Amino acid sequence: MADVSLFLTDLALGLLLGCVFAVIAHGLNLIWGVAKVVNVAHGEFIMLGAYGAYWFNLWYGFNPLLSVPIDAAIGLGVGVLFYFVFLYRELRGKESMGLQSEMVTLVATFGLALFMINAVQSLWTGNNVGIPWSPGILQFGFLQLPLGGLYVAVVSVTIIGLSHIFLSKTYLGNAIRAYSQDISATRLAGINPTSTAAIGTALGFGITMAGGALLTVWLPTGIYPAMGNLYAPISFVIVVLGGPGKMWGSLVGGLTLGVIIDVGQLFVGSLSLAYAIAFLTLIPVLLLRPEGILR
Amino acid sequence: MEAPPPGAPRSRRKVIAIVVAVILVLVAVTAAAVYYLIPAGFAGTIKVGFTISLTGTFNVEGTNSLNGIKTAANWINSHGGVVVGGKAYNVSLDFYDDQSVSGNIATLYTRIIQQDGAQFLLAPYSSGLTTAAAPLADQYNRVMLSHGGSSDAIWTQTSRRNLVEVLSPASLYLKGAVDWIKANHPTDQIAALYASDSFSSFATQAAIGYAQSIGLSVVYNQSYPATVTDLSTQLTAAKNQGAQDLIGGGHFNDGLLIMNQLKTTWTAPSPKFISLLVAVTEPTFQTQLGATANNVTGPSQWESIVSYSPSQAQSLGLTWYGPTPAEFTQLYGTLNSGATPSYHAGEAGASLLVLANAIQQSNSLNTTDVRAKLGSMHIMDFFGQFQLDSRGMQTAHSMVLVQWQAGAKKVVLPSDVADATCQYPYTGA
Amino acid sequence: MRLPAFRSLGPTIWGIGIFLILLGVSAPWIPLFLLTLLIGLLISATLAYSLNLITGLTGYVSFGHVVFMAFGGYALAFGVGTLKLPPVAGVALGAVVGLALALGIGVVTLRFRGVFFAIATLVVAVAALYIVLEIKELGDGQGIYLNVGFEPLSMFYTIWIILAIEIGVTYWITHGRIGYGIRSIKSDEDAANTLGINAARLKLSVYALSGLFAGAAGGVYAWNVSGAFPYDAFNLIFSLRMLAMIVIGGMGTLLGPLLGAVAVYIPSQFFLTVLIGFEFIIIGFVVVVIALFLPDGIVGTLRKYIPELRGILE
Repeated sequence: MADVSLFLTDLALGLLLGCVFAVIAHGLNLIWGVAKVVNVAHGEFIMLGAYGAYWFNLWYGFNPLLSVPIDAAIGLGVGVLFYFVFLYRELRGKESMGLQSEMVTLVATFGLALFMINAVQSLWTGNNVGIPWSPGILQFGFLQLPLGGLYVAVVSVTIIGLSHIFLSKTYLGNAIRAYSQDISATRLAGINPTSTAAIGTALGFGITMAGGALLTVWLPTGIYPAMGNLYAPISFVIVVLGGPGKMWGSLVGGLTLGVIIDVGQLFVGSLSLAYAIAFLTLIPVLLLRPEGILR
Repeated sequence: MEAPPPGAPRSRRKVIAIVVAVILVLVAVTAAAVYYLIPAGFAGTIKVGFTISLTGTFNVEGTNSLNGIKTAANWINSHGGVVVGGKAYNVSLDFYDDQSVSGNIATLYTRIIQQDGAQFLLAPYSSGLTTAAAPLADQYNRVMLSHGGSSDAIWTQTSRRNLVEVLSPASLYLKGAVDWIKANHPTDQIAALYASDSFSSFATQAAIGYAQSIGLSVVYNQSYPATVTDLSTQLTAAKNQGAQDLIGGGHFNDGLLIMNQLKTTWTAPSPKFISLLVAVTEPTFQTQLGATANNVTGPSQWESIVSYSPSQAQSLGLTWYGPTPAEFTQLYGTLNSGATPSYHAGEAGASLLVLANAIQQSNSLNTTDVRAKLGSMHIMDFFGQFQLDSRGMQTAHSMVLVQWQAGAKKVVLPSDVADATCQYPYTGA
Repeated sequence: MRLPAFRSLGPTIWGIGIFLILLGVSAPWIPLFLLTLLIGLLISATLAYSLNLITGLTGYVSFGHVVFMAFGGYALAFGVGTLKLPPVAGVALGAVVGLALALGIGVVTLRFRGVFFAIATLVVAVAALYIVLEIKELGDGQGIYLNVGFEPLSMFYTIWIILAIEIGVTYWITHGRIGYGIRSIKSDEDAANTLGINAARLKLSVYALSGLFAGAAGGVYAWNVSGAFPYDAFNLIFSLRMLAMIVIGGMGTLLGPLLGAVAVYIPSQFFLTVLIGFEFIIIGFVVVVIALFLPDGIVGTLRKYIPELRGILE
């Protein structure tokens, strides 16, 4: 039946879309969970990752998947820098992030966002650019799926899975989790809170920029300085949906959003309204289950 | 807040004065500085003022438009200027960046009119900004020519006195493609997928209405938000509805997104005819898509390869003014490091030429005379024909339809300026 | 509700009052271009004071305040375009719409704290754009085109009255009992609740007021630009500008939003002619510096380091 096949196609496309949304939100998830900091400039770092992939493609012909680890490495450095410029003063010596510090980082990162968008625009113009990479289709009976999206989905799930394993099984990961739960106890256990937080932040930024690179697979020319204005709200919604600090939450949140958009538009008859509904799911989740969908 | 310290009225009054003075001085000093940043005008010039989007959403289109205007000004000043009452005037341009923000329009145009004393105005780029500027043209009695605002609503929803349209209205953008479908493949079913912004929405919905009125079947009609990431579901649905033709699009980004995602969603069979707004006319459309772009069509206000000419004007009984398309293109290239003018440059440059011609023909620098002349003249220039209806809307200029054929952009409609025939079906995917 | 006695009005409010009166009285003689500049400034100031009510005074950072401005603009556009109202009535309609919308949004979102409130307001503003794109009566994607002529004096006096009332309301809130309640919410909401302050009702009232004034300002803005277009009206830049203004001026202060509006708006006119494209680079940098090192903004920092000003500068 045509309707069922359309529904299933939309569902599959929504899941694929959800995977790329998940990975761009994942970095924010990590930083938010660890340092309890909401980086308003998150979208701008996604943008940097996307531009990074674009240039590696332009200068060296790297396809975006290849740029992922390079962007991640750059992100690590950027993250450390960010930590020491923005967070160190606020977090040093404190036991937890009070409301005042929260507002300070909120406002400071907001200023950073303004600065970055326009600095980028002045430096290399606002022209839309993109990477023309089309790996083709995968055909499953009536299901026609874009291979690019599939590759991104695989990488995305891998990144999220790896981060989950890292946090739960490695020493450093456990230290980061301990830090996010109780800073003074962490110190008592002999772990340096500053370096732990710095590393956690660095990882978060690394993943964010890697996510930006993965995003370029979906956007043939959607890279421009202000693109963060679209992907930051999406990231925030996903992290809240999944629960800040829960690694698999990014995937749950991302998939939820992707499916609501792509399947929702089938039922509501309009892509715009589907986007609106997807964003507004934040409200009932915050009202009824503020710690996120995942337990 | 604590109560003021008791028993200190004199210092309190002093501080009130200081507070007031500080605020006033701040505002006055910066405003005065801004006030005095007037570009010097030469006596014996006609000052044409406008804002243009050099930053913000429309920075690309705005910059191209500005370059077109400068090219036209250069041509006018090097070909005898504008002759009024036996005296030759140069054209001087007085422009500011409006940042693509409508909030800046009123401040900038009042400055242009009152401070800088511009005698004639051009509108900003885009329908939204043009509509913000238009009331000032009427209020302060200056002629204003629209080169980048094509939405019919600007003229149909209200009456304008001094705002005239140089380019073709938005409702006509896709008319050529629809007419061609009707004439050659009337049984084709059409899918319309377009961005929900002001211009794309208007142009495509007008096209849908027109298509239905001449008996074509529109089986899919959907808009999407301009910042969309993924249109796979829409394209799949359009294909499932049995459409053979696809019209719509919006701007460069989504045009390219549609074409890219066509390859993964709408294949076997691919659409047979595609006509997308804006994106198709850009050279980067073809360089980004390669073979996928082949046989894709798109409407354009103008292309540098059109064959409008003085002899064509003569055979139609019209006056010709200004450079030929080739001369304009060459001059533009000289002034812009070899670049080819886009249709934004063409429409903007044409607006200045039309203004210059109207001033010259009316032999007056008076707004009423020039506006009357604009309303009555029927001329041809490198951009095409120019004739207004009673509302100030453009009636004689025709859109062209371009199509990428084997990596080159060809004009395929209308036949009197075409350099190739329209190919069908779409073969790119 | 007793109005504070004239004698006890602080120097700051006197200063602002004199400034406004001078402006209002001299308006018919101000050159046209400066007048339109002032209209833009007063609109920005109104928006800044509006955000100041909920963010500066009550401590709830809102990223989505543009939604009230946008709907205020649409209310004017719909009122003037479809209902054929005169523009001033359209502005009043904008204020009413802003108020109603703030009540509706606030009832839900004010339950969230800190960063969750900020994100919720952002999400509502983004979703609102997508919804308006589908509403035919509001012009869906095409927007509403108006032509009510261009009357700078009427626009000026309209926004002038709105701003004057708004500053008066701000003063009344900060100096009255409500001010104590709001400030206690800002420092510790749970403690405030245990003290018997109905935080929920207070927050909602303040939010409603901020929505009202933002809606009115949005109405004047739409009047100024002769239309309401979705991507233009809901542009997040407005939210960002408002926030920058109160951060720079000093959050929660009486003079702060006005100073911030002047500091952000007037120089922005420079960037239309020289240094094109640099406006937000500088503003962004300034906001970062202020947030990290001078979190109280201009007014707050002046108060902190110059003790003589503490009784005078608010």
